[in-house]
Amino acid sequence: MDEINQWLIAAISDSTLQAACLYLLRTVPGFPPIIQTVHILGIAVIMGTVVMLNLRLLGLAAVGQSVAEMRCRLLPWFWWALLLNALSGAVLVLALPARYFNNPIFISKMALIVVAATLTLVVQRRARSRPVDDTTAASKLIAALSLLLWLLIPLAGRWIAYLEFLYPLYR
Amino acid sequence: MELLQAPLWTDIENWPLSFEIAVSWLFPLLESLHVIAAAMVLGAIFMVDLRLLGLSATVYPLSQLSRELAPWSWWAFAITTLTGLGMFITRASNHVLNPAFQWKMVLLALAGINMACLHWIISRNRHQWDLDRSPPVAARLSGALSLVLWIGVMLAGRWIGHLS
Repeated sequence: MDEINQWLIAAISDSTLQAACLYLLRTVPGFPPIIQTVHILGIAVIMGTVVMLNLRLLGLAAVGQSVAEMRCRLLPWFWWALLLNALSGAVLVLALPARYFNNPIFISKMALIVVAATLTLVVQRRARSRPVDDTTAASKLIAALSLLLWLLIPLAGRWIAYLEFLYPLYR
Repeated sequence: MELLQAPLWTDIENWPLSFEIAVSWLFPLLESLHVIAAAMVLGAIFMVDLRLLGLSATVYPLSQLSRELAPWSWWAFAITTLTGLGMFITRASNHVLNPAFQWKMVLLALAGINMACLHWIISRNRHQWDLDRSPPVAARLSGALSLVLWIGVMLAGRWIGHLS
C-alpha cells in the first residue's frame, strides 16, 4: 500500500498540475476558504440528498414522499455533488500530495468514499428492479450502512487536520 | 463599538469550561459535529429553497416539503448553536473582533429575518399557491435570498479560522 502512496506523491510532486493548484491556493485572495466552502456546500447537498433518502428508507424522514420518486429526484444532485467534491478536494490534495497520501485518515476517507458510493449505486439499482417502495430488511440494512458512511466521511475529512495536530509526524 | 472590547469576553474565555474545551479532545469533537450539523442545516434548507424557486420537488406542495424537512434543519441548527457556543467561549474576545465572525452573525440574522418574512408575510395566502410549480415572485425571491444568505454564512464561518 505504502508503495502506491509514495509513487503517487512522487508523480504529483513538481508536476504542472501541482504548480497550478499551489498557484491558486497561494496567490488568489481568499482561495483556500472559498474552495473549502465549496467542499462543505457539496457535503450539504450530500446531506440533503443521499442522507435524506437513507433516512426515508429507514422511515425516519419525509415519510410523505415516495421512495421511488425521491431516488429519481435526489440522486442526480448527489452524483453532481460528489463530482464537485472530488474536484474541490483534488485541488487541495494535488497542491500538497505528501500531506494527504502520508495521512492514514485521508487514505481511510478515500476507502470509505469508494464503499459508500458503491452502496449508493446498489440503492439506485435496487430502485430500478423494484418500482414500488421497498422497505424490506435488506433495503433498510443497506440504507443504515450508507447513512453511517456518509456521516463518517466528512468526519474523517475534518480529522485529517487533527491528526497532524495530534501527531506532528504527519505534518 | 465598546461592547466588542468589553472585559466580558475575556471573562468568558476564563471560565473553567472554556479552558476544558480548548485544551482537550472536546474542541475537535465540537468542530466536527458543527460541520456535519451545518451541512445538514443547509441540505434541508436548500431543498425547500429549490422548491420555492420551482426548481425541484415540484410534485409536492410546498407546505408538505417544509413540514417534513423543517424539523431536520431545526434540530441540526440546535446542534450547530450548541457546538458553536462551545467553540466560541474558548476564544470569545478574539471572535467578536474577527470580521469573518461578525459577517457570519450578520448573515445569520438576515437569514433569520428572511425566514420570518417567508413565514409571516408570504405564507398567509400560501393555500392559494401551495401546489403551484412556480410560487409567486415574493416567495421565489425569498427562496433565492435564503440560498445566497446561507451560502454566505458557510463562507464566513469557514473564513473565521483563516483570520484568527
